[in-house]
Amino acid sequence: MLKNVEVESSVGRVPPARKAGLSLFLSRLVKQRTLVFMSVPFILWLFLFKYVPLWGWTIAFQNFKPAKSFGEQQWVGWKQFEFMFSDDRFLQVMRNTLAMSLINFVLGFATAITLAILLNELRAVAFKRVVQTISYLPHFISWVVAATIIQTALSTDGGIVNEVLLALGLIQEPVLWLGVGKYFWGIMGVSEVWKNVGWNTIIYLAALTTIDPSQYEAAEIDGAGRFQKIWHITLPGIRPVIVILMIINLGQILETGFEPQYLLGNGPNLDYSENLEIFILKYGMNLGNYSLSVAAGIFKTVVSIVLLFGANHLAKRMGQDRLF
Amino acid sequence: MKTSRKWILALLSTIVVTAAVGCSSGNNNEAGSGSASPSPSGSESAPSSQAASEEPKPDPVTFTYFNARADKDVETKQTDIGKILEEQTGVNFKIEHLVGDINTKIGTMIASDSYPDILQPDTAIDKIMEAGAFIPLNDLIEQYGPNIKRVYEPYFNLMKAEDGNIYFLPFSAVVGEYKPNPVIDQGAFWIQNRVLEEAGYPKVKTFDEYFKLIEDYAGKHKDEKLTGFMSLTHDWRFFATTNPPNHLEGYPNDGEVQVDLNTMDAKIYATNDGTKRWLQKLNELNANGLYDKSSFVDNYDQYLAKITSGKVLGYFDYGWQVQQANQTIKAETVKNGGDDSLEYFPLPIVYENNIKDQYIDPSSFINNRGIGITKSAKDPVRIIQFFDNLLTDENQRLTQWGIQGVTYEVDDKGRLYRTQEQIDKLKDIEYKRQVGLDYFEYYWPMYGQGSTFPDGNSVSAGRQPEVASASFTEAEKARLAKYGVQTYAELFAVPDDRPWYPAWSIALEQGSDAQIYTAKKVDVQRKYFAKIVLDPPSKFDANWQEYLNEYSKLPVAEYEATMTDEVKKKVAKIRGN
Repeated sequence: MLKNVEVESSVGRVPPARKAGLSLFLSRLVKQRTLVFMSVPFILWLFLFKYVPLWGWTIAFQNFKPAKSFGEQQWVGWKQFEFMFSDDRFLQVMRNTLAMSLINFVLGFATAITLAILLNELRAVAFKRVVQTISYLPHFISWVVAATIIQTALSTDGGIVNEVLLALGLIQEPVLWLGVGKYFWGIMGVSEVWKNVGWNTIIYLAALTTIDPSQYEAAEIDGAGRFQKIWHITLPGIRPVIVILMIINLGQILETGFEPQYLLGNGPNLDYSENLEIFILKYGMNLGNYSLSVAAGIFKTVVSIVLLFGANHLAKRMGQDRLF
Repeated sequence: MKTSRKWILALLSTIVVTAAVGCSSGNNNEAGSGSASPSPSGSESAPSSQAASEEPKPDPVTFTYFNARADKDVETKQTDIGKILEEQTGVNFKIEHLVGDINTKIGTMIASDSYPDILQPDTAIDKIMEAGAFIPLNDLIEQYGPNIKRVYEPYFNLMKAEDGNIYFLPFSAVVGEYKPNPVIDQGAFWIQNRVLEEAGYPKVKTFDEYFKLIEDYAGKHKDEKLTGFMSLTHDWRFFATTNPPNHLEGYPNDGEVQVDLNTMDAKIYATNDGTKRWLQKLNELNANGLYDKSSFVDNYDQYLAKITSGKVLGYFDYGWQVQQANQTIKAETVKNGGDDSLEYFPLPIVYENNIKDQYIDPSSFINNRGIGITKSAKDPVRIIQFFDNLLTDENQRLTQWGIQGVTYEVDDKGRLYRTQEQIDKLKDIEYKRQVGLDYFEYYWPMYGQGSTFPDGNSVSAGRQPEVASASFTEAEKARLAKYGVQTYAELFAVPDDRPWYPAWSIALEQGSDAQIYTAKKVDVQRKYFAKIVLDPPSKFDANWQEYLNEYSKLPVAEYEATMTDEVKKKVAKIRGN
């Protein structure tokens, strides 16, 4: 992973050609034919699976019926988009999607980086390994199981969360955590962290190993303490990785996932748990309105592209490493 | 340098070649299996579907069947009944069941345009129809299905789609005299036996009497951490919480609407006084700590677990939906030496004494559930012959009763019955699967439930009085005697004739206002029912008003008009033939 990042950034730094032109392009092509040849299968793959399906976007402008052939479909223009944007719930759904995404985004980065640095500072290898293993075990549990664990932990009869809070005297009677809409985002944030923090540290731990130990030694001679070393050496050392990951993740900000919200969502917390994916499932797939599903998908893609370019541009302006 | 390049090239070409070979060999396989299975010889050698054993055995063939309900996947030839049917027809089915969300599963099938050979799409049947996934069966039935014709012909009018074709076979074609179910598999207010016992088995008919019993019992047993009442709200089963006011007002389960017997006008009840009274009661119970708050959060499994825990005094639900839990409690009863005080007793509760309850389903033909052959089917003829062969009296007895001497007996008068031991053994779902009853007694072309054989025996084993009363324990019989009846069904009123019944089986056009109404109203109710019930009683009126306002934004009028229209159409179809 890290290698890729380095390769990409070094490729990006190739000085722009001075004597531009077809001849240069061709001579380069011949020179790098092995590389070109190697990339052919992947470009084909990319084209076949990422660009060809874009043809399906036409469905968004039809009243699509699976049984009919393309010529027989009824064209309806922007009707699906109009339905989507004029629906009261859609605004709420967008709010939920963005809120949960941002919470995941911020918490995800903060906790993963913190844990990675803490692990890096550990000297007892055995302890480090144990912590690492335990912290990334939940990543391998499927959401169906994880949701049941969360439901049980939050239940009003004998759920561990209520029991502990009662014992500490923080609450007077058990709280129906999943039955109060306002708590839902918090529950989602904590659950996501619990499930993914260990997994997310892996990439930072890998990045940390590339920092030259002599920098730490030099800092030590200069009299830097632990926190100063973290602040001045460790964090700047992994900054490129952080920035790249942030850009990539920003592009996926509308992808809050589907399973946790679907599995933990219920009547009382509906106003906070319903995200874009569930909206699409309810009003698109479940009603057999495939056109609406596609329209929502297009909308998501457009937002993602805007965010991705925006973040990349911002990184460029701030003189940071960037994706492209 | 040179050599390493050559190596890379060699490696790459190997990858490309393997990929190509991989793809093409996959195609070969598919083509191979495709050409092998149609097996024309088999289908022609079995001209009549009563493929008797003396005829040359037809080629064995395996078809796929996706059944949209939850169960263990199986190959029918691994079950005892399936084995016998395979010997008759040479056909084996690989049954796959539903895991997860039905609409997602069916939606994926439609999107990829690939289906199993036969399909039971349950609630997603409209989508399958719209996708044109089923093949028309008219000619196949005409040519290969004398038995299908015999059983289903009276209903052909109702089975025909707009274009006049029949695309699937429903499960509810009654053959012979109609017998209602002696056990309550439909809606009821259930109450724990111990509550009735402590109160001295009073007559309970009204809503207020029912909850008074529960309140009294809970009041006397304050330290046992009992739950007075709870409801099921999970996912699509939410109707178990929205339907009760309809039943309390004396209507059967017509879904979202109450249909007037005379004018046949369909009206929604979600905003009427009946629903208000129902929610007010739940709100009051909740304020008194008698309602299980988690009702609005729990999933189906948690709900069932609570019923089996024995801590819940009462609930409303449909018998088929809590069957699993009831069986578990029954097993507990046996372990406890027959003390069944934690089992539940079904009651036909109504709002006022003068209302006639209509909990039991009228005899009805449900024409939007069924099993069909898909356009992916490799050999429709073999399948329709298998279906036809299922619909003989002998094979109906086989699939409904099982194997003589093993799962049922015949007495000297020709009456079918089950011994106590057989009944107990069949309570074990694993055993039922192994025999095959679990897989064959429903979701196949069949004599509808409530049918009778020409010799007077009931087709469904459960509706045979000998079996029904044999499955009652002594304690149950004594308890029923206190109410002057022999079966639970006798407590309930006889259903009025409603030719359109059930209105919930009416298919709504994709993307119509009526259809969007059904999707949106669930969201509104999900949100507000929880709020109305769980907030303190002082907020009840304000919350109810808010709910009405929210509800008035839905296309209610369009929905009612559509339903009224469809009900009348259906009645005309049946009466006018």
